[in-house]
Amino acid sequence: MTMRRVLAVTRKTLSQFRHDRRTLGFVVMMPLLMVVVFGYTFGGEVHDVRTLVVNDDAGPMAGRLLENVTGDTLAIESWTDVAAARAEVVAGRAWAVVAFPENFTANLPPGNDTAAITVVLDGSSPPIRAAVLGTLRAALEKTFAGAGAPFALEQDYVYGSEDTRFIDSFAPGVVALAVLMVTTILSVIMVVRERGGGILERLFSTSLRPSEFVFGLALALAVIAVAQSAVVLGAALLLFNVQVVGNIALAFAILLLFAIGNQGLGIMMSSAAKNELQAIQFVPLILFPSLLLTGVFFPLEAIPGGLRPLSYVVPLTYAADALHSVMLRGWGIGDFGVALDVLILLVYDALTLLGAAVFVRRQA
Amino acid sequence: MPKGPAVIAKELKKAFGDVEALRGVSLEIPRGVTFGLLGPNGAGKTTFIRICLGLTRPTSGTASVLGEDIPPRAMLPKIGYMPQDLAVYLDLTVAENLALFGRLVGMEEEAIEKRTDEVLKIVDIAERRDSLASTLSGGMRRRASLAAALLHDPDLLLLDEPTVGVDPELRAAFWVYFQDLTKRGRTVLITTHYMEEASNCDLAALLHRGRLLICDGPAAIKEKTRAENLDDAFLTLVREANAA
Repeated sequence: MTMRRVLAVTRKTLSQFRHDRRTLGFVVMMPLLMVVVFGYTFGGEVHDVRTLVVNDDAGPMAGRLLENVTGDTLAIESWTDVAAARAEVVAGRAWAVVAFPENFTANLPPGNDTAAITVVLDGSSPPIRAAVLGTLRAALEKTFAGAGAPFALEQDYVYGSEDTRFIDSFAPGVVALAVLMVTTILSVIMVVRERGGGILERLFSTSLRPSEFVFGLALALAVIAVAQSAVVLGAALLLFNVQVVGNIALAFAILLLFAIGNQGLGIMMSSAAKNELQAIQFVPLILFPSLLLTGVFFPLEAIPGGLRPLSYVVPLTYAADALHSVMLRGWGIGDFGVALDVLILLVYDALTLLGAAVFVRRQA
Repeated sequence: MPKGPAVIAKELKKAFGDVEALRGVSLEIPRGVTFGLLGPNGAGKTTFIRICLGLTRPTSGTASVLGEDIPPRAMLPKIGYMPQDLAVYLDLTVAENLALFGRLVGMEEEAIEKRTDEVLKIVDIAERRDSLASTLSGGMRRRASLAAALLHDPDLLLLDEPTVGVDPELRAAFWVYFQDLTKRGRTVLITTHYMEEASNCDLAALLHRGRLLICDGPAAIKEKTRAENLDDAFLTLVREANAA
C-alpha cells in the first residue's frame, strides 16, 4: 500500500464533493434537519385533544373534578346535549365526550356503590384514547384521593375498541408511507437515468408528448404501488391481524390516487437532480417530514403547534387520514372527512402531473 | 412523395449563454440524397440536428423539415433519429427497445415484429434480438440504436455519428445500405468527424465553429480546394477560415 496512491483517491473524492455543492450542503444540512424535526416531534405529548363535556350533575362534584383536569392534553368544551356531542365524535370532529349524569354527586361513594361517568370515545387512535382516559383518571385520583372509590369510566366506543392496538392505528399510515417511498423515489431515479442516457431526448423525437410520457410512467408505477400495497396490507392482516372495518377497495383507490401524485412530485424533483447521487438525496427529504409530521406514528395532536401547519402541507397527512378513517372507522367516500381528503389528493395529482409534464419537457 | 428539399435552414443561429453553437447556418438538403454534415467535435453538428427535430429552439433563423416549419411535430413519425448518446434502455431487450420506438411512431404490432427482424439483420445483431441491451458491447448498442431509427422506414434519417465504434467491415456495409435507402427516395443526414467518410455522400457540408465553410459534392470540394483527399480539403478550408 502506497500512501501517495491512497491520498490520491482521498483527494479525488474530496474534489468531487467540491464540484458538487449540492451534495456537500446535503451532508451538512440533512443531519441538522433530522435533529431539529426529531427533537421537536419525538416524545411529543398529545395535546389539544378536542373533548366535549356534558355536565348534567346536580351537585358540585363533577365541576370540582373538571377543575382538576389540568395541562393542555385535553381541549375541553362544554356541551349540553349528549346526543349532539356524540354526533361530533361520529363525524370525526371531536375525539371524546365526557358525560356526567344528573345524580353524579348523589351517587358518589361511600354512600353508593358506583358513580358512573360515560366516556364516548373515538378509539381508532390508541395514543389519543390513552391520553383521554389517562387525563380523566388523574383528575379522579386528585379529586377523590384516598376515597378508594370504585369509579366506573363507562367507555362507549364510536370507532375502534379497548382492543384497538397501536399497530392497528398505524398500519394504514405505514402502507401509505411504503407507497410514498417507492413511487417517489422510483420516479425521481428513473427520470434522472433516462435523461442521462439521452433516452428522454430520443423519446421526444418520436412525437411523444411530455404529458403522455408522464401519464405512462405514472400508470406503470401506480400498478407497482398497488401490488406493493397488497403485499404490505396482506402481511399486516395475516401476520399482525390488523383490524380493518372499512372498504378495502376504497383503501386501494386512495392509495392509487396518492401514488399517482407522488410520481408527479418525483418527476418534478428529478429536474432538480443532476445525477442519481443527487436524486437519492431526496429520500430523507421526503421520508422525515412524512414520518414525523403526518400522523402516521403519532396523532397530529402530538405534533407541536408550531410545526402543525407543515403537517397540512405534506400530502401523506391526507392519504394517511383517509386510510385511517376508511380502515379503522369504516367511513366511505360519502363521509365528509374522506371526501375532503380524496379531493385534496386529486388536486395533488393534478398539480404534480401538470408540473411534471412541464419539467420533463425542459429536461429533454 | 411530396416535392421540395427535405431540410431547408435559413440563417440558423443558436447560442447557449456565451457559447455560440451555430452562427448563421443556411443550407438545403434535397430529397433522396446522402448528406454528410462534417466537422470537428463542437462544430455545431448535433445542435443543427436537434433544431431540425424541434428538441431545441434556434436563437434566430428559420428551418423546415419535410416541408413543415420547425418544430416539425406532424413530420416526426416520418423521421428516424439516432442520437450520439446510445439512447437505448439497457434494462430492456433489443426487441423490446425497438417495439417501444415502433409504437411511439404509430406502427402496428405486426409491422413492428416483421421490421424488427429485417433491421436487426441490416445492423448484423439478429442473433441478439432477445438479449438485454446491457449485455451488448458498445458497438452493438450503437447498432441497436441505429436499428431503432430505421425501424419505421422513415423518409428522413438523422444520424448523429452513427459509425463511431463500428468496425470497418460493418461501417462499409452501413454506407452501402444508406445508398440503397437514397435510391428508394429516402434522405439520410449523417454527421461524422471522420472527413474521409464524406466521399460516400452525395453532398457534404463542413461546419467549423458554428459556421458553414462549404456545401457541395465530394468531388467538387476536392476540386475547389485542389486537394487530393477530403481530409486535406477540409484542413485547407479550416486554415483559410482561421486566417480570415
